[in-house]
Amino acid sequence: MNAHANAPGGTSAVPLLQLRGISKEFPGVKALDDVSFALYPGEVHMLLGENGAGKSSLMKVLCGAYKADSGEFFFKGEKVTITSTADAQKLGIAVIFQEFSLVPYLDIAQNIFLGREPKGRIPGTIDRRKILAEAKGLLDAIGFDIDPSVVVNTLGVAQQQMVEIAKAISQNARILVMDEPTAALSDRETELLFALIARLKADGVSIVYISHRMAEVFALGDRITVLRDGRRIDGVKPADVTPDQLVRMMVGRTVDMTYPRNFADKPGEVLLQVKNLTAPSGISDVNIEVRRGEIVGLCGLVGSGRTEVARAIFGADPIASGEIVFDGKPISGEPDVASRRGIALIPESRKSEGLALLRSVGDNLVVSALRKLFPSGLFDPRSGLRTADGLIRQLRIATPSARQTVGLLSGGNQQKVVIGKWLAAGAKLFIFDEPTRGIDVGAKSEIFALIDRLVAEGAAALMISSEQVEICHVCDRAYVMREGRVAGHLARNELTEENIVRLGMHHA
Amino acid sequence: MTDITKEALSPPRSFLSQDAIQLFYRLLAVLLICAVLAVLNDSFLSLGNILNVLRQASLTFFIASGLTLVVLTAGLDLSVGANVALSACIAGTVIHTTGSPVLGILTGLACGGIVGLLNGVMVTALRIPSFIATYGMLWVLNGLTYWYMAGETLHGFPPGFRQIGSGYLFGLPIPVYLLLVFLGIGTLFAQRTIWGQEIYAIGANPVAARLSGIPVRRRLLLVYTVSGTMAGLASIIFLSRLNSAEADIGESLTLPAIAAVLIGGTSLFGGVGTVFGTFIGALILTLVLNGMNLLSVSANWQPLVTGIIVIIAVWLDMKTRRRAQ
Amino acid sequence: MREAAVVSQPNPLQRIPGVAIVLGALIILFGAIAPGFLTPANLSNVLVQSTILTMLALPMTLIIMTEGLDLSMGAVLTLTSLCVAIVSLATKSMLLGLGAGVLVGAAFGTVNGWLVAILGIPPFVATLGTLGMAQGLSLIVSDAQSVVGIPHSVRDIYSATLLGVPVPILLALVTYVVFHGLLYHTRFGSYVFALGGNREALRYAGLSPNKLLIAVYALGGTMAGIAGLLMTARMNSGHPTAGLGLEFDAIAAVAVGGTSFERGNGWLLGTLLGVIAVGVLRNGLNLVSLPSSVQVASVGVLVIVALFLDGLRSRA
Repeated sequence: MNAHANAPGGTSAVPLLQLRGISKEFPGVKALDDVSFALYPGEVHMLLGENGAGKSSLMKVLCGAYKADSGEFFFKGEKVTITSTADAQKLGIAVIFQEFSLVPYLDIAQNIFLGREPKGRIPGTIDRRKILAEAKGLLDAIGFDIDPSVVVNTLGVAQQQMVEIAKAISQNARILVMDEPTAALSDRETELLFALIARLKADGVSIVYISHRMAEVFALGDRITVLRDGRRIDGVKPADVTPDQLVRMMVGRTVDMTYPRNFADKPGEVLLQVKNLTAPSGISDVNIEVRRGEIVGLCGLVGSGRTEVARAIFGADPIASGEIVFDGKPISGEPDVASRRGIALIPESRKSEGLALLRSVGDNLVVSALRKLFPSGLFDPRSGLRTADGLIRQLRIATPSARQTVGLLSGGNQQKVVIGKWLAAGAKLFIFDEPTRGIDVGAKSEIFALIDRLVAEGAAALMISSEQVEICHVCDRAYVMREGRVAGHLARNELTEENIVRLGMHHA
Repeated sequence: MTDITKEALSPPRSFLSQDAIQLFYRLLAVLLICAVLAVLNDSFLSLGNILNVLRQASLTFFIASGLTLVVLTAGLDLSVGANVALSACIAGTVIHTTGSPVLGILTGLACGGIVGLLNGVMVTALRIPSFIATYGMLWVLNGLTYWYMAGETLHGFPPGFRQIGSGYLFGLPIPVYLLLVFLGIGTLFAQRTIWGQEIYAIGANPVAARLSGIPVRRRLLLVYTVSGTMAGLASIIFLSRLNSAEADIGESLTLPAIAAVLIGGTSLFGGVGTVFGTFIGALILTLVLNGMNLLSVSANWQPLVTGIIVIIAVWLDMKTRRRAQ
Repeated sequence: MREAAVVSQPNPLQRIPGVAIVLGALIILFGAIAPGFLTPANLSNVLVQSTILTMLALPMTLIIMTEGLDLSMGAVLTLTSLCVAIVSLATKSMLLGLGAGVLVGAAFGTVNGWLVAILGIPPFVATLGTLGMAQGLSLIVSDAQSVVGIPHSVRDIYSATLLGVPVPILLALVTYVVFHGLLYHTRFGSYVFALGGNREALRYAGLSPNKLLIAVYALGGTMAGIAGLLMTARMNSGHPTAGLGLEFDAIAAVAVGGTSFERGNGWLLGTLLGVIAVGVLRNGLNLVSLPSSVQVASVGVLVIVALFLDGLRSRA
């Protein structure tokens, strides 16, 4: 298990593509830090890591969507540059997007050859016979037995993925990048995809495969690269490791801050009780309980249904069955009902869902509290500003004044404004969805201190986070979700990164 | 340097002062147009013409003020002109048959309000995009009005009723008083009620507004109903001023109303704008059209100029918005 | 991978019901209540009168497929019809008249496309603005008067027959065939689908969505120009409100015909049937002596219902 476990079969073949010392920095985050990566012809290379470990960034650098800050690329041993998607395409690198690049109401053949259609006799027309024949040939080559004149819109997710792959192959792709390709597939469809991958491998196509499912990693992978904190931790072969060892490599992110938290001896009465909640948004039979004075974590992989649970509790998404009891009484309806009852949602994408970016800090701070502050219905701007100024001081929001446009603040201060809006409204339960995303270390620590103070004063918090470290340090206990269900509950003494990853991942 | 300190160092840019600057430009434009017209034409500064401009502007303003609220929520109401026509014809009939102007006025307002409510239902419950829903409504109303009137013209209303549109009080036309009243009410509603605040919030970011606990659908219903009711009010003034009702009176009203809203600085993308701005917008548009009239430019040029003004106003709005982001 | 072949292959006929039921119901209704509706002469009349609408509704389908809209089409048609009348009156040449109409129409279409694609102005406001401009120009060039005394060569287009079939019907058919070929059998057609369905796919394929978008709107203007000739021929004059509200009938035909206002799903045959449905509705209401106002209102109701159903379908 060392960094030199390189070429498949131990031979020293020349890698098809090699990345050396790739670094990529975004404001406040080092997404990739000196990552090296080699891909050999005809291998399936698994890329493994927690949310935010740098897998997506590496993928984007590979296909030219991001330009690396430093580092070198070698293609078949020769130095090349990849600074645009066109560069990557020329080298035969193709990404099979999760959001497909297909045109829904064109047929398979037209989609495969979009922009490269064979010309018909009349100028501007498409040679229908030729395009169908060529598409058929391609589809046959990947073993996808379907009529190329079928409209893409009528295909299932798996079949659309096949078309994407055919499109990539038609552009002479030799390297396919797949980001969790089985996430939306049924078991049967997954089998079909695996068969295709085997066939592509046999043809010498290399595949970079990102996955969260242990079973896949061991079933498909020729080699595994583990990333953590934007760094390459290790490169191993499936035969040499156990799933537990892989989990241990993935966790243990560096702690770059202190987490202020005063744990209460005894939690208060039950504030929120979610009973057998099932919703069309993709969650089923969820049971959750939150008490006053507690910070309860809600973890799991991205897409495991965490956000959907939060939205269902808040009334932002409809629910199919189950019951939500808040403060002793059942609750249902739109978010205005939930917010009047004292529930607050601090959404993940604060810019698109949490704030009116073009409005002022003051306007944003009082928007949820209008009814409480002005019961007569008459709005007094001066009194609104006073309330806002109070919150700005209390939360130490760095802004020249309450009149500043909120879009001009930093991420951390914007987040404080979203929280402040619910403080003003007098919320009792705060649901945080990724509260520290895109926020610098100092502001993170302030926000956790704030949450701690809130619960100490009798409120409660339900916190979704992909940062397991955060969950472990600040939560009293946590629920772990997997595929729309609660996969397990971890008490304070069980709350470790390893346990979270183990529960959240697909062990099979 | 962390981003927090960086921010503290950057000069404050508040939207309030931005608004003030925008308003200043518009007032400057009013003065400029007035100055040019005063130089070009002697009769521009005559009392009669100035009162005429104000009266014309007030008619555009009544329709445009309700529309402003709709545009503030990032919607559009293309049916206002047709709504004015239908409401005027129905109100006119009621006055003719019952002889009661009060009953007629109430009917006109109710008719406008119901049409607005229906628009709101189409937008919120049926989730049809506002511009296409109200465009469909425009033709439904047109058809209804022509059918109802069957080519007839209602003519001759009680003198008391005619005072509303053509009477004077202390030397000023009565519509100008109404204009001041509704300018005040509109401004108070938008700036000094929590409903107004919520309307701004919805326009600025409907998703965030919903997740902030604002009952978005109910507020949208309110906004479209108000817009319709204001069209109903405008229909009464028209009826009283023209002393007649015909099916085609609404056809040339919608585009100027939209122009007034957009020139007034209300953003088509919602969340930015004021009722007072719309008043200035109505004034600018009326001055331009009045000036063309005084300079003996044929009235045939009015739609062309209005159309160009609409496009320029939207384009300017998009430019300022892009800079703000 | 045998299973993969068993896709839920859509029966293309599955989409017909919506518009076909509407059309069938209208024909049965008016066949029963409207005297003289089912006579060959009247049915031919319905088709002849649908020609102009066909020429607007087909390009409108393409525009709506790009998630756009062209509210200026009726007003532009008015203007081009006047141009045809004025130029053919002055030059005694039908072709020069047509040329003028097409040129003006294409110019307006290009301006629409430019406002939408390059300036990024929402289509409904951009074309509302150009609607005003076209309306104004119509009043200006005609001085708000009808243009009369146009040459026979123009008028004859509408009344002539070829092998016993009225020329307008033939023109409508030719237009349909051309648009069908354009949308389903050319590269441009594929790209129109992509403009609404997935603009990223176009960029990824190295194509310029903006240029394509301008072309789509320009096509709409051009067709309004050609339809202007027919309008002048039909009215035997140029009239400054000739095209009033025609864009609405066109939108109605597209909406009833099953083209979605989102997602870039267009269906030309549906639009054609939609055009005929609107034509039957107007003709039938006319035959039972309901005024044109009721026709306008019922088309409005038709659109709202169609859009509501479309919304239901897209949510399902």
